[in-house]
Amino acid sequence: MFSRRTLLGGAAAGATALGLAACGGGGSTDADSEITTLKIMAPLLSDTAPDPEGQLQKAVEEFIGMPLEITWVPNSSYGDRVTVTMASDNIPHVMVQTGKSAEFAQTAEAGGFWDLTDILSEYPNLTPQNPEVAHGASINGRTYGIFRLRDAMRAAISIRKDWLDNLGLAEPETTADLMEIARAFTEDDPAGDGSATTGLIIPAWNGYGNNGPYDLWETWYGTSNVWKDEGGTLSPAFHAPEFIEANRTMREMAAAGHINADFATMDSGTWNEPFFNGQGGLIADVSSRGLQLQGLFKDADPEGYLDMVTMVGNLKNADGTLFALPTPGYSGYLTIPKAAVPGDAQLATVLTALDKLSSEEGQRLLNNGLEGVNYEVDGEQAVPIESDEASVIESDISAFAQIGSQSNGYLGLSAKPESEADAALDEKRKAFHESDLESAVFNPGAAYMSKSYLQNGAILDQIVVDARLKFLAGQIDEAGLTAELERWTSSGGQTVIDEMNELYQQGSN
Amino acid sequence: MVMTNDSPGAVGPVPLEVKEPPAPGVSSTRRKRSLLKRLRRSPMLYLMLLPGVVYFAVFKYAPMYGITIAFQDYLPFLGMQGSPWVGWDHFERLFSGPDFGRLLSNTLILAFLNVVLAFPAPIIVALMLNELRKQVLKKFIQTAIYIPHFLSWAIVSGLTYLLFALDIGPITVLFNDLFGGRVNFLADPDWFRPLIMVQTLWKGTGWGTIIYLAALAGVDKQQYEAAMIDGAGRFQQLRHVTIPAIIPTVIIMLILNIGNFLDTGFEQIYMLTNSLNRDVADVFDTYVYFMGITNGAYSYSTAIGLFKSLVGLVLILGANWLAKKFTESSLF
Repeated sequence: MFSRRTLLGGAAAGATALGLAACGGGGSTDADSEITTLKIMAPLLSDTAPDPEGQLQKAVEEFIGMPLEITWVPNSSYGDRVTVTMASDNIPHVMVQTGKSAEFAQTAEAGGFWDLTDILSEYPNLTPQNPEVAHGASINGRTYGIFRLRDAMRAAISIRKDWLDNLGLAEPETTADLMEIARAFTEDDPAGDGSATTGLIIPAWNGYGNNGPYDLWETWYGTSNVWKDEGGTLSPAFHAPEFIEANRTMREMAAAGHINADFATMDSGTWNEPFFNGQGGLIADVSSRGLQLQGLFKDADPEGYLDMVTMVGNLKNADGTLFALPTPGYSGYLTIPKAAVPGDAQLATVLTALDKLSSEEGQRLLNNGLEGVNYEVDGEQAVPIESDEASVIESDISAFAQIGSQSNGYLGLSAKPESEADAALDEKRKAFHESDLESAVFNPGAAYMSKSYLQNGAILDQIVVDARLKFLAGQIDEAGLTAELERWTSSGGQTVIDEMNELYQQGSN
Repeated sequence: MVMTNDSPGAVGPVPLEVKEPPAPGVSSTRRKRSLLKRLRRSPMLYLMLLPGVVYFAVFKYAPMYGITIAFQDYLPFLGMQGSPWVGWDHFERLFSGPDFGRLLSNTLILAFLNVVLAFPAPIIVALMLNELRKQVLKKFIQTAIYIPHFLSWAIVSGLTYLLFALDIGPITVLFNDLFGGRVNFLADPDWFRPLIMVQTLWKGTGWGTIIYLAALAGVDKQQYEAAMIDGAGRFQQLRHVTIPAIIPTVIIMLILNIGNFLDTGFEQIYMLTNSLNRDVADVFDTYVYFMGITNGAYSYSTAIGLFKSLVGLVLILGANWLAKKFTESSLF
């Protein structure tokens, strides 16, 4: 029937076929070919990806004069997809990077993405408006992507206003005020019904130096922001004496029950619940949370929500000095992989399209949508239109906003608050953000990526995060905390400090 | 029934190697020639084997090529061809790193607990079920204890968080009422391993009984009758008939388990880890995730994974050798 040779031959043929299929098409992009369709890969934060035939995408395509092919990847798996895509043959022309990850920095420095440092100034809408943010977004001074602008100041404390009023307390201005309010919210029955309450609500917080509640508290005490510049030398913020001091008071609050007891394990996805349910009255986070909380109260009681939530900005320390904690001012980049865009002419095509998208008209398209279809202009603000057509575009905008950079400054319209109470809170937050920004402590080491930090950063950061929490929970004492921070230094942290200083000296010259 | 790889009970029929003394006059060359002859005589049988062989070659052996990145500084965009070679650097870093001792001891302790607690549990439950005379009750219990197996670890962790939550979880409340104090199960490092074991037992024990119940069903009834005639009571029957009958299965399962000795279950541990219990929770699996996925150190985490696999290989070969030496049954 079958000879042995046929069998083996068949097996070999089968294996080869599978092997070829696994290798893929293997077509590389030619440096001279013209880019006629702009391929973009971006994270999708909402539930539904925009329809490629939808009204908004058509409008964007018409605006840049080129069809778009956008790969929307759910945000939760975006990082993995970036890795897989970079290892594949099907690389987009524009790839959104969600942050300055170790992998991105390594790939960029190995030549995976275009170095745009000397090129961006040729494109007026891609020239950064804020050089400080642009420097922080660079990797050791080189620009490998167009950063996506975000508010530089977002820190705010949301407070149960009705509780403040019940107890006759004023809004806090200093860290000591906040501690007193946390105490009163815990011990003085702020709700007036004898229910068990606490002051600060803190969920389990991952990572170090990412604008978490603990980072805020430490910066207010004067630890600086991740890195501290002392006479031209960088040292980690947690080596500052204020770090111990800040955590000592935080620990006092935790021990006295003025912070929710499950602060080490509480799910941060449910952060709003204890505030809304009246179990706690303070949240130190960003100001958009205050607006969210106000929205929750409004949904529950459209009449009586006015006096439930108030917000204040950064707090002064005991000496009355304000150290405000800014955000990095950007969130990720639009990067251009060299493998997909090998030639200068092609790079120009891509950058021209991105430049258009960052113009005033482009920004409005990506952030506001289509005027007259889903919004109308009222002065400087956008008023949403209610219709089925509009809601599709609204959903598309939440996706398309991800591919905008606005590094030249935000030129879109802000949404008009729904009511006067919302407008008042919105005004208030804008005012304190603006004044806080003047006292903002920017991270002096933001631009520098040390080689050993790229290798061990996640582990090193974790040492600090864990030590801090163990101290706050009372598992270790001050000597233990110092010992843990020592462990950071001896586990490779000292190399990071040395390398950072070397880069820092080079960068500031 | 859906077969998966993650639990001992999900292993299909295990081929037992039966040692037969070679027939006189059969040499190894004869055997080789007869293999060729057999191939010629029944090619269809071997053709049926082909998909399996191709499957293993393509999906199990070919990907092993990827192990090379453990000896490189791999970057996805440079690919395996373009990434620079670094030799044993990553292994040196692992063994001399500050975390290695902690990771090893955490992993070994959990692995040990798995072998002494989680491994025998299904055997004991299966023996107990076997003694039940009411079939309806037996079936009901079996079904009930299978169910947790089908829940994902995310759900099990969610339940754990609800039941053991500080101050409000029902189990926490009960425990504190009984023993006093204010135990924070989820954050106390002393409670981490007990919690993990409770989860493992709850989720896996029922499912693990399947294979033993199958083995028990195969025990010859006549042996029991003979034992009864000899005057053996229930416990003596258990000791002298039932247990010897399932020992080969137990040994095979133990060998298979030992091969996965260092697989401590990433999802389960990751979801129960927090800043306060990380010192006892960090194992190789979570460390690989941490370094590889969050830190983008693919080469380093591959090196750790490779080390783990080697340990697994040595253990499984060692266990098999011991089993062969001291009993009649072995895996290969």
